[in-house]
Amino acid sequence: MNQARHLSLALGACAAVLLVAACQKDVASPTAGTITAGIKPKPGGGCANFRLTGGGRVDKPEPETGKSPPSSHDFATFGFQARPDDACPFENAGSGNIEWNEHLETAYGGGFAFHGQVTVFGTPNDGSETNPQCGRFGGFGRLNPHNGATEEDVTFEVNHACDVDEPGVGQDHIYMRIGPLADGSIYFRHSLLSGGNIQWHRLTGNN
Amino acid sequence: MTTKILLALTLLAGAVQAQTVTGKAFGTYVNAAGVTSQSPVATLPSSGGMATGQADAFGVPGAVDASWLNAVTTGDVDNKKSGAQSTSELEQVSVAGGAITADVVTAIATAYFGQFTGGSDAEGSGFANLVVNGEAITTEVAPNTRVDLPGVGYAILNEQIPTGNGVTSWGMTVNMIHVVLQDALTGLTTGEIIIGSASSSVAR
Repeated sequence: MNQARHLSLALGACAAVLLVAACQKDVASPTAGTITAGIKPKPGGGCANFRLTGGGRVDKPEPETGKSPPSSHDFATFGFQARPDDACPFENAGSGNIEWNEHLETAYGGGFAFHGQVTVFGTPNDGSETNPQCGRFGGFGRLNPHNGATEEDVTFEVNHACDVDEPGVGQDHIYMRIGPLADGSIYFRHSLLSGGNIQWHRLTGNN
Repeated sequence: MTTKILLALTLLAGAVQAQTVTGKAFGTYVNAAGVTSQSPVATLPSSGGMATGQADAFGVPGAVDASWLNAVTTGDVDNKKSGAQSTSELEQVSVAGGAITADVVTAIATAYFGQFTGGSDAEGSGFANLVVNGEAITTEVAPNTRVDLPGVGYAILNEQIPTGNGVTSWGMTVNMIHVVLQDALTGLTTGEIIIGSASSSVAR
């Protein structure tokens, strides 16, 4: 736990991630680090007992809120559904999908569209787990840069997606990491929602 | 006793089934000169989940050109809280022969209810570098802003249409650019163009 908290404080400089680890300063920073496992195991093993859905827009880094000005492309939009794998073939197995569209022209590829498939799902360990309605998930996907060739099997991780309250704008928040990318960089964006919502739902016997 | 239990279970099942979500998003819809064309539509399953509709480019000569069309809708249903959020966005948009252009058009419609409250909104919707009739719009566009398009008709920018009764149902449709095409002589409506459309609703 201490290690997890230490790592959470170091986010923005160097973070342990789900399937890869990388040091980071900005969108175009080079990668370095070691492979670690990140998702916090559920006590007693198995898979999580909740699911998450969400969609909307993120602009400024936390704790700032609100949209970038109309002259700016500095924002991303997203939509996702993520949940534990019904069969739970391994600990923290997940399923679902995420779409992430980055518009910042100076971001990787001049902006991009990312289509990810969720393979792992669990509880965050970056400090956000103090809110019981946060989740963490990751997997692989296809990245279509605006300027460049499509990249397949790109790793992504949502370090946390948190349902703080309704409405989600200015309250719910999400942290997205994609990479390492073809140039070795790691993309990330984390923000309070400037549009949309995230909802956390406890799984029941029927769903 | 058994009858009472069955009745209670029936009522409970009815209450659970009453929760509904809808979501829909698309990039463009054109109905002009007898031609109807639409980019891929994302439609949320009634049980919730996720749907997408995407295209690298979409064009109808004289009506619309756009790139990177992404429509996504997600939602979830249960008896304590439900939500749907739909997003449509396009880049490098040109409408009605260039009467309206924008670098990015983003439509977001959100609807939700929790234990004590419900609501809907179009927060997050907007334009990047919008130009109308050759004039750059450098501020946020207020909901339901009407602009005349000489020789074309008129457009409603950031069109927001709330739905639901506000007590047990909430919803929102947002069309970022809704062009009404009119005959130059008679003023009669001849068609329409919708750019950046997102709709979400919930009911309990």
